[in-house]
Amino acid sequence: MTALRVGAVVLSGALGGLLFAPVFGLSTLLVPVLVPAAAVLVTTLCARRVAALTDWRPLLATAAGLLAVAETLLWPTTVAGLPTGRTAVALADGVTRSWWRTMESTWPARPDAGSVLFVPLLVLVCGVLGSELLLRLRSPLSAVVPALGLAVFSQLHVASTGVVAVAAGLGLALLAGVVLATDRAGPRWPFGVVALAAAVITGLVLPTAAPRVALRTEPRPPAGSPLTSPLDQLAGRLLDPNVEVLRVTGAVIPDRWPLLVLDEFDGVNWAPGGRFRRLGRLLPPGPQVTVATRRRTAAIRWAGDGDRWLPSQTWPATVHGAEPRVDPVHGTLLRTGPAASGPLDYRLDWWEPSVDGADLARATVDPGAPGGLPAGGPAPSGYPELAGAGVGGRRPSFAAALNLESYLRTNYRLAGPGDALPTGHGWPQLTAFLRETRRGTSEQFAAAYVVLARLAGIPARLAVGYRTPPRPDPDGWYTVRNRDALAWPEVAVAGVGWVPLDPTAATAMSPAEGGLAEATAQARDVAPETAAPQPVPAANSTAPTRPVVPWWAVLLAVPTAAVMWPVAVPAAWTIRAWRRRRRPPPAAVSGAWVEARDRLSAYGVAVSSAMTPRDLAESARPVVGDAIAADIRRLGGVVDRALWSGAVPDAGEVRLAWGVVRAVRRGVPWRRRFRATLGLRGLRGTR
Amino acid sequence: MNPAGPARIAAHRVAARIVENVGQIIRGKPDLIRFAVAALLAEGHVLIEDVPGLGKTSLARCLARSVGGSLSRIQFTPDLLPGDITGVSVYQPAKESFTFHRGAVFANVVVADEINRGTPKTQSALLEVMAEGRVTADGETHRVPRPFLVVATQNPIELAGTYRLPEAQLDRFLMRLSVGYPDAEDELRVVLADKAGASPEDLRPVVDVPTLTQAIAQVRDLRVDEAVADYAVRLAAATREHPDVRFGASVRGSIALVRAAQALAVLAGRGFVTPDDVKDVAGAVLAHRLVLSPEAELAMGGAMEVVRDVVSATVSPTSGAGR
Repeated sequence: MTALRVGAVVLSGALGGLLFAPVFGLSTLLVPVLVPAAAVLVTTLCARRVAALTDWRPLLATAAGLLAVAETLLWPTTVAGLPTGRTAVALADGVTRSWWRTMESTWPARPDAGSVLFVPLLVLVCGVLGSELLLRLRSPLSAVVPALGLAVFSQLHVASTGVVAVAAGLGLALLAGVVLATDRAGPRWPFGVVALAAAVITGLVLPTAAPRVALRTEPRPPAGSPLTSPLDQLAGRLLDPNVEVLRVTGAVIPDRWPLLVLDEFDGVNWAPGGRFRRLGRLLPPGPQVTVATRRRTAAIRWAGDGDRWLPSQTWPATVHGAEPRVDPVHGTLLRTGPAASGPLDYRLDWWEPSVDGADLARATVDPGAPGGLPAGGPAPSGYPELAGAGVGGRRPSFAAALNLESYLRTNYRLAGPGDALPTGHGWPQLTAFLRETRRGTSEQFAAAYVVLARLAGIPARLAVGYRTPPRPDPDGWYTVRNRDALAWPEVAVAGVGWVPLDPTAATAMSPAEGGLAEATAQARDVAPETAAPQPVPAANSTAPTRPVVPWWAVLLAVPTAAVMWPVAVPAAWTIRAWRRRRRPPPAAVSGAWVEARDRLSAYGVAVSSAMTPRDLAESARPVVGDAIAADIRRLGGVVDRALWSGAVPDAGEVRLAWGVVRAVRRGVPWRRRFRATLGLRGLRGTR
Repeated sequence: MNPAGPARIAAHRVAARIVENVGQIIRGKPDLIRFAVAALLAEGHVLIEDVPGLGKTSLARCLARSVGGSLSRIQFTPDLLPGDITGVSVYQPAKESFTFHRGAVFANVVVADEINRGTPKTQSALLEVMAEGRVTADGETHRVPRPFLVVATQNPIELAGTYRLPEAQLDRFLMRLSVGYPDAEDELRVVLADKAGASPEDLRPVVDVPTLTQAIAQVRDLRVDEAVADYAVRLAAATREHPDVRFGASVRGSIALVRAAQALAVLAGRGFVTPDDVKDVAGAVLAHRLVLSPEAELAMGGAMEVVRDVVSATVSPTSGAGR
């Protein structure tokens, strides 16, 4: 029996550890959590059989647990399974830093030991502590507290909901029930049943919205040396066009590679507004994307000398071969650590929204897109009129965005290789570009597009990076050079996310097989829409859905609720009356009045918020009789004195008021009282 | 602790004496008498409205007789002139000057019988004196004695030869009361009393003017909790939003509601006003101030039904306490 109870305690700790599954993935946690838990359990039970080892039991269990952690997570630091100094250093690192690494990462985090380690260590502590509380203090309730604490800690990271929450609640309640029910002081089944039912009901009714309490906070901006904006370097790169910066290959190659996305404009400079995290195991597309997405892959050789911005895509999924930080909002990848010399080879996976060109042409914009319509300073005079002309007087929509793109393509000229290349992207440079020279690089085109689009109500941001050259090399790789450096605007389309546009037409020859580039090209060919913009149809597979409650959970909830009801509802009546009575005298008297009113409401008396005690007495007379009605009038007198005379009622008046409540309670036949006690009518209060 | 202090008790005794005195003649109408006395203590004017022969004038005369001050009675007729009410300036050849001859309105209690038989011009002569307690004639202002109470009667069913009171005039009445038919037993007692020759003129004054003035002051000082005053204001405001009402109760109506509730609380022997006091007087104080839509005018319930609606739909301050 003791083995069963110790097993339940240790297993409840392991279950608490497994609740970190949303952070790391269940498969990542199974072995690192269950093996140390099993080691603690076996060691504890063995040491219990030898009296001489009783005092050493926690130490032995801890050592066995740590060894199991080393074997499962830190194998590379061991020599043929034997822990070394590196293992100890890694364990120390796990104690001090692994949790912080997890907090800095996107979730699900990478399954590396440096991040996961704190979970098995916490399970180990819960197992050892819980076992000792059970065996030494013989306090079963205390023994399950560490595991419950670990479960709460895990929920502060990502709160489980729906089926997972129900299963976890049932599991913890079951294990706690085993520990409590097998207590020698006598089984405590009622507690177990209540805990079990409460867990089920709580899991079922909990909303799936974001939790109110969470440990996660906004990460800080990247530390380290100041980072140069690729936008400032764009003209310089065009002056040295043949320098190779990037080689890519893959099944489907996009038409451009953003390095940095900028959405904050102060009139002079463009700045990125995002925050960076360690890139975890798999980053999902942003919540703005409701259409179906396809996962793309490309191998990249990045030759950017000391450049810390890595070529990326709007919705990066994962990176192999590098451990960059990522700005999940903008998709920007930032190389961390010391500046490396030589090229960097990595594989980038990303999400490509799949949308039809015709749907895209009719699509609405997404005014809630982060960074799309920031509150900035006022634009110089003439810009709103220019924006209106650019969108052709259309309402904010993707068609209007294409109109603006076409407007810039038609009325402005891209500076060629032989021209003097204008630089700058603040108001003075944009004014010169838009009104005087009408000639600029993609830097001015993109910046001008974004400010005009925002003035026209179209959420837009500026991206800078490289376009993909039209043809691959003979080896199948595309070689991107400085001449391909490009800035372009992106507009937020409802359901699709950020869609890149090209007012310079520089990417016209770039590959555009599938994906947004092809859909945008199709949308450009569609005749101008006169109908109202429509939202892009969401994909069933990717639309956010509420978790479906399985039939067995519903079936289980019904008898559980039936069991709980006769206890919970009368308890709620009692607790509320107790709280009302415990208030200071004036409130205690008015509490008696409200209690009497709620009781009468439960008995079927017509009650309204316009009623005074005198009205209530009249209304209640047919139900409770003349005597009780007279009592209620007496209560009304006490209430009036307490509330309106300015005098503080004494204890006698409080007793009198609550005496009337008792009389009201007892003044009806017991059947009606019984029904009222189990009903919710009076508990809801009076409206 | 008794929240009603000695001063309140004195005012209560005054009220009780008047109620008892009036009750000797007006049988079976305790609430009517209570409200009428409440209006007296609130120093507000009363409009008694009902079909002929139910004791409107008797009630007015009983009230007037119960107070030991000056009393005047004006029978409103179409040929009554404003000067008959307020007074006129008469040229005195000997003095070669005008002397103001006071009209019937210069009394503590003025019984304006069948007020709706006076022309609008004559009715309007009461506007200033009812609101401000003074008469202005030929550029001179003359104050009427305090306390000053107008008890008017009118017959609502007779249209020939009558002139409907203007809204401004109605607003100056604190309450509009309706007498109603007595039950058979009370009617028998009235008949027997008449046979015995009992009339309002037999009543003796039970309160002198200084005592009444003091009682009125005590009523004014009665405690009104802010929540109760707020309730009165909410009731008045709710009449303005009722779908059957074109123009709801005025601010004067809110003030009147609180003052009437204060008087009613004194009658009940309390030193503070309760929401029930406000509810009790709401119909009498608010109904005659409402201008209903034409459809509502034709409906059975009329303004009193609107006030009942409003009272039953407005959250009482007692309801919100103690949650």
